Amino acid sequence: MIEMQSVGKVFRTDVVETHALRNFSLKVEPGEFVAITGHSGSGKTTFLNVAGLLEELDTGRYLLDGQDVSKLTDNERSRIRNRKIGFIFQSFNLIPDINIYHNVEAPLHYQRMPAAERKRRILASLERVGLTSRMKHIPLQLSGGQQQRVAIARAISGDPRVILADEPTGNLDTAMSNQIMKLLLEINAAGTTILMVTHNPELAEQAHRQIHIVDGQIDKIHHFAAAKPAIHAV
Amino acid sequence: MFMHDLGLALQSMRRHPVLSALMVLAIAAGIAASMITITVYHGRAGHPIWWKADKLYAVTLDTRDPDTANAFSGLTRHPEYPPFQVTYRDAKALYRSDIPERSVMMFRSNRVITPERKGERPFATAVRVTTADFFAMFDVPFLYGTGWSRADDDAPAPIVVLSKYANDKLFGGRNSVGRSITIGDRQFRIIGVIDAWLPQPKFYDLNNSGFDLPENLFMPWGWTEALRLPSGGSTSCVRSNAKVGSFEDLLAQDCVWLQYWAELPTAAQRERYQRFVDNYVTDQKQYGRFPRPLNNRIVNVDEWLKMYDVVGDETRIQVAVALMFLLVCILNTFGLMLAKFLKAAPISGLRRALGASRIDVMRQHLVEVVIVGLLGGALGLALSFFGLQAMRAINSRPFPGMDDNPARVAIQQSLTNLDFQMFAVALALSLLTGVLAGLYPAWRVGKLAPSSFLKTQ
Repeated sequence: MIEMQSVGKVFRTDVVETHALRNFSLKVEPGEFVAITGHSGSGKTTFLNVAGLLEELDTGRYLLDGQDVSKLTDNERSRIRNRKIGFIFQSFNLIPDINIYHNVEAPLHYQRMPAAERKRRILASLERVGLTSRMKHIPLQLSGGQQQRVAIARAISGDPRVILADEPTGNLDTAMSNQIMKLLLEINAAGTTILMVTHNPELAEQAHRQIHIVDGQIDKIHHFAAAKPAIHAV
Repeated sequence: MFMHDLGLALQSMRRHPVLSALMVLAIAAGIAASMITITVYHGRAGHPIWWKADKLYAVTLDTRDPDTANAFSGLTRHPEYPPFQVTYRDAKALYRSDIPERSVMMFRSNRVITPERKGERPFATAVRVTTADFFAMFDVPFLYGTGWSRADDDAPAPIVVLSKYANDKLFGGRNSVGRSITIGDRQFRIIGVIDAWLPQPKFYDLNNSGFDLPENLFMPWGWTEALRLPSGGSTSCVRSNAKVGSFEDLLAQDCVWLQYWAELPTAAQRERYQRFVDNYVTDQKQYGRFPRPLNNRIVNVDEWLKMYDVVGDETRIQVAVALMFLLVCILNTFGLMLAKFLKAAPISGLRRALGASRIDVMRQHLVEVVIVGLLGGALGLALSFFGLQAMRAINSRPFPGMDDNPARVAIQQSLTNLDFQMFAVALALSLLTGVLAGLYPAWRVGKLAPSSFLKTQ
């Protein structure tokens, strides 16, 4: 599903050059759930941004769903992001002044999807996260856990091949975190590949594999369930 | 997708209502100031007889002294222009040419009219003393009757044509053809009444004001000498040796006070006529006249209005100042728009992450820019409408000594009229203003890397 070969990403300012990813190689099979761990500044988020086509890589090669996406134009990256990737963020990133229904609808607009089909998908997604009754509410009227469930509904509404979650439980208490993790596991069980950045070792252990990043490179890999699909560091 | 962008734009405006209102107000102020001055400019720069644009020509001859110290010109800014009027003897000489389809020599005078009805007081009014072709050449519409013939000019026949205003005033608007009026101590028979006719600018005689009413009374040319009619317009003696002590001197000396027009429907006629005029002037040189090199200008109405500078520097400066003000408003709106868009950049970043391309984000912001521009334009147009109404009301106020001709209001209307063309200008200006103010902010927000906002939103 995701294959990175010797990927490098450098951030430059006038005075300093930061190697956020160095010679980073990883292969993730379809249907896997991968937890990414590491200290702050280790390169986890940069990896997720490169994987989500939000950042261009400087060196190396990146294949997403079999397609080389290393040298795509901005438009092409947006299109792939829209159709193949769903994002979940630590701070939910919902649009504050529109209701839940329209928040979930946002990515579907950019697929130029007919209104009836949009509606069907929004309702299905909200039902899956258990928030159909709240679809007229605006984000501030929901709890943190509910907001993150809306973000999950938004991420799955476009039926993506992969979901990239950047500390999705970072702003939630334990009970809420567990609910969100349960939801993510269900989505993964239905076949969607998930890459999740987390600081929480208990959550990381629920993934198929944990990849620990240090200084922009893979430091360690832990396999947690032999029965789950294989993931490989190459 | 447009409806989606429209929805997002309206959402964005609702999110920051004060900022949005400030932008709309800034654009409205700039548009209003610009539209008021552009409308006045448009009114002054109009072509009063466009359908004869390449047929009517004003004729001017350079009668002036050779030395520049006495180089009288209608406009000192353009000493190369010959005087805008011609002398009596030159007018009569030109009138003999049969090259033009029609020719008119004329001037403005003033006469006292005694109404037919007893008890009504005599009143002074502007008179145009002209040759017969005036009415046909300038397409003057008649309410009753007609104009006169060249034979009536020569006679001269005791006949007159009245303006609608004069007919209303003297005869209560009834058909007065065949009736008589007393001018001075003579009786004149009315042969025609002109319908409402208000060429603006009053191109055929721009001496007193470019934006004035046509005369109320029209008399055959022959009465010039018969009644020793004085010019009520501008008279300038353009030779240092001209000495005017009597009416006869005025007719004989190099003093310009007559307007001369020729109707030349084809380019060939115009060229022939130019040769005729040049030959006449060359011939006159043997009598010590026309000491300057040939400088006889036969100009169409458009060129004529430009020579006279009918629009005027004042109007142009007003437009320039208003456009500068609009520029300041655009810069203000630009700043507000940039601040607003950058403030909302995290949401744009989020939309980029969800699949919006740079173009999607730019387009969404441009739709907002256009809405702000159009709202500003609509408000600006409303403000300019009221501004022009106020200007019209002030300029239409009668002052002591002015007649009560309602057409004066019509002149102000023509100068302050927000017509369809002006609506189109306002629309274009609003869109341009909005886009100029918002193009860079929209581009800038589209260029921002989405990842930089996703952690911090």
